[in-house]
Amino acid sequence: MRLASWLTMRVAAAAATLIVLSAVVFWATEVLPGDAVGTSAGPDATDAERAAIRVSLGLDRPAGERYLEWIGQAVQGNLGESLLTGRKVSEVIGDRLLASVAVLLPAAVMIVVLAVVLGSAAGLRAGGRWDRALSAITLGLVGSSDFLLATGLLVVFTAWWPVLPAVALVPAGDELWQHPDLVALPAIALALGGFGAAMRLLRASVAQTTGTGFAEFARLNGVRGVRYVWMMVSNAAAPALHGLSIVLAGLLGGSIVVETLFNVPGVGFELSQAVAERDVPLVQGLSLTLGAATLAILLAGDLCAAMLGRHQASAPGGAR
Amino acid sequence: MKSTTARKLAAAVTAGALLAATGCSGDEPAGSATSAEKTLRAAFAGGGSSETLNYLTGPTALDFVRAKLVHAPLCELDPKAPDGVSYGVVEAITASDDLKTYTLRVRDGVKFTDGKALTSADVLYSLRAPMLLKGLPFTMLISRNFDMEAATAPDASTVVLPTKSPIADGREVICQTTLAIADKTTEFTTNTPSSGPFTIESFEPGQSTLLKRNDSYYGQAPELEKIELRSIPDGAARVNALRQGQVDFISAVGPAEAKTLETSDGIKVTNSDLPYASYLQYTMNIKAAPFDDPRVREAFRLAVDRERIVQNVYYGRAFVGNDVPALGFPSYNTTLAQRSHDPERAKQLLTEAGAAGIKVELTAGPELPGMVETATLIVEDLKAIGVQAALRELPAGQLFADYPAYLSWPFKAGYTPAAYFEINHTPGVFTDVDTLVLTARSAATEQERLAASHQAQKLLWEKGNQIAPVFVPTISAASDRVDGVRELQFPDLSRVTLRN
Repeated sequence: MRLASWLTMRVAAAAATLIVLSAVVFWATEVLPGDAVGTSAGPDATDAERAAIRVSLGLDRPAGERYLEWIGQAVQGNLGESLLTGRKVSEVIGDRLLASVAVLLPAAVMIVVLAVVLGSAAGLRAGGRWDRALSAITLGLVGSSDFLLATGLLVVFTAWWPVLPAVALVPAGDELWQHPDLVALPAIALALGGFGAAMRLLRASVAQTTGTGFAEFARLNGVRGVRYVWMMVSNAAAPALHGLSIVLAGLLGGSIVVETLFNVPGVGFELSQAVAERDVPLVQGLSLTLGAATLAILLAGDLCAAMLGRHQASAPGGAR
Repeated sequence: MKSTTARKLAAAVTAGALLAATGCSGDEPAGSATSAEKTLRAAFAGGGSSETLNYLTGPTALDFVRAKLVHAPLCELDPKAPDGVSYGVVEAITASDDLKTYTLRVRDGVKFTDGKALTSADVLYSLRAPMLLKGLPFTMLISRNFDMEAATAPDASTVVLPTKSPIADGREVICQTTLAIADKTTEFTTNTPSSGPFTIESFEPGQSTLLKRNDSYYGQAPELEKIELRSIPDGAARVNALRQGQVDFISAVGPAEAKTLETSDGIKVTNSDLPYASYLQYTMNIKAAPFDDPRVREAFRLAVDRERIVQNVYYGRAFVGNDVPALGFPSYNTTLAQRSHDPERAKQLLTEAGAAGIKVELTAGPELPGMVETATLIVEDLKAIGVQAALRELPAGQLFADYPAYLSWPFKAGYTPAAYFEINHTPGVFTDVDTLVLTARSAATEQERLAASHQAQKLLWEKGNQIAPVFVPTISAASDRVDGVRELQFPDLSRVTLRN
């Protein structure tokens, strides 16, 4: 019951956040110099031609009026149409989201596996050789830019040992997720850049947990092996889960560098393109989708952490 | 006991890594073996989801390249041909003696893919389509010059276009961009009837277009069976795709990338020849100080070391400009002396104008390869003559986004694709030049027209407000199996041949 009311509160807060976000994004695209007329007219247009385009795009109406109309439609599930091509915004988002998720999902799995395995290994033996080596490597990875990691992967897997395609060229009619070879490099690049933060959080938390009286008590009681590792990790996982959800949420819209370099036709690239073209409905739709997805991932992270917390409360010792 | 835990963990890590490695290396690089033998895979920058099959509203080079493969041109600019144009589905264009009427003769035997014959009604509709279907301004050249309301199609193979005022260069106006579409076409889908060398099999905006040879094409049949057009927005990614053999041809290669690709085995780099080079210009606003003084404008033009720009920015792949547009076109004034690099004279002129040590800010953005780098060198050259010059670099896509603001900036970069000077001249800066251009377009004899055009260019050379240090060709790179790419304003792939 408490969980249900907590969930309702969170969802209501998320909806309110999205409405504020939509207003902020609209305002931000509005104050940027220029509009879709300038980007589509080209330098040789006459003033009359520009004015005609402005009217046909509906950009001659006041900004407030346009925003209210847009939000009215958005509430009913209609995200409008692209100013430049007239394609349905929801259709564009669907296409792009599918491509992004095709890369993000394997990247997320790799991040979780790497973070949990390496974080636990390092945390259980904090200060050991393993721990120090892993710390050096992950700090190096966290400190490297996406561009550097992606370029390094390209050098290794397309030049020295050419086993993977350099650029994600999806055969016509197919979807990206149907081609694991095309997904591999961008997903690995994202995973390498992303797992460090979550792994470091888990390591610290596991190290801390193994130092508590509760861990000592478990060891004295003969808890050993996998059972011991599970006991430590599950008790230590909550803060790392927060970290993990933030990393994953960030990847969704923030992987523009990797998307660009590997030519993944994802949300990040489309958003930057839409901003450059001042295609307001597309910018609005994409940022709202990204916002909603981010909030959903964070909520899921909190939910999992809360579940772990309940498990933790019933665990012996109950150290938090 | 702890050691077993560690061992188990190590095993898990190894297993995970192995899994990841096998999962990733199981497949061959895409495209290498699967492509059909006569399929050309060509990559362009594209434009994300804003790509469209409607060439009238498609702003990217890829949209036009694709459209031109699908819809036959009425005619094309061809500076070497006797009429200045080469003919397509229109086989002749004649102007009346008073230059007030143009008559187009439609080629017989041209068919659309739905089997219908192409007639004058289709040609007339193609010429009106930019207005009817709200085309982008670059398609509006015709309606600016011809009275399209009064245009008629008296019989199935004749179209008559009255001009708004007498013009002698109506052919160039008609042929600059017009493609043939069927009468009453209002939307462009993969099934829209077309008359070009290829038809569309599939189209995914921002990703790929698959084109198939149109066997009922009236012209020279393409040797290729299929063309796969790919959108790869990032220049480095395009180069990587070519190097790895994922594509056979890439367009819009940067000068530095071209330099590195030149040394690669099995890859050849080409650039378009004159006149197909963009007019890169840095415009000074003469409405305000310091550029209202012609001496300051001349000083700025003399300060620029053009040869250094050609070598350092374009690695030799550019043509030195002489501050007037349309280099390589027949009416280009070749009698003008090449502007020299003369910093001493420039300093002197600035002192005479009382503008020594003035402050200027040059605005540029990466809208054309080398635009920002050239601006950087110009700023250096200006500093060398004592001007306090600074560069304001805008992110991609910003330069022309706010056009009124762009017009108001005192000193800014810009470019014009390769095109005739006279029909694309924007009036309003120098009235004497405008008058001469009007004469160059409408005088009765060819000598008079050419003389006026040359005089207009001379005035622009003497007192004009643009520094045009270089003309920039488009650079392409291709596997050495690829031949027959025609480097026009945009690459034309219709006559490509592929060796095995």
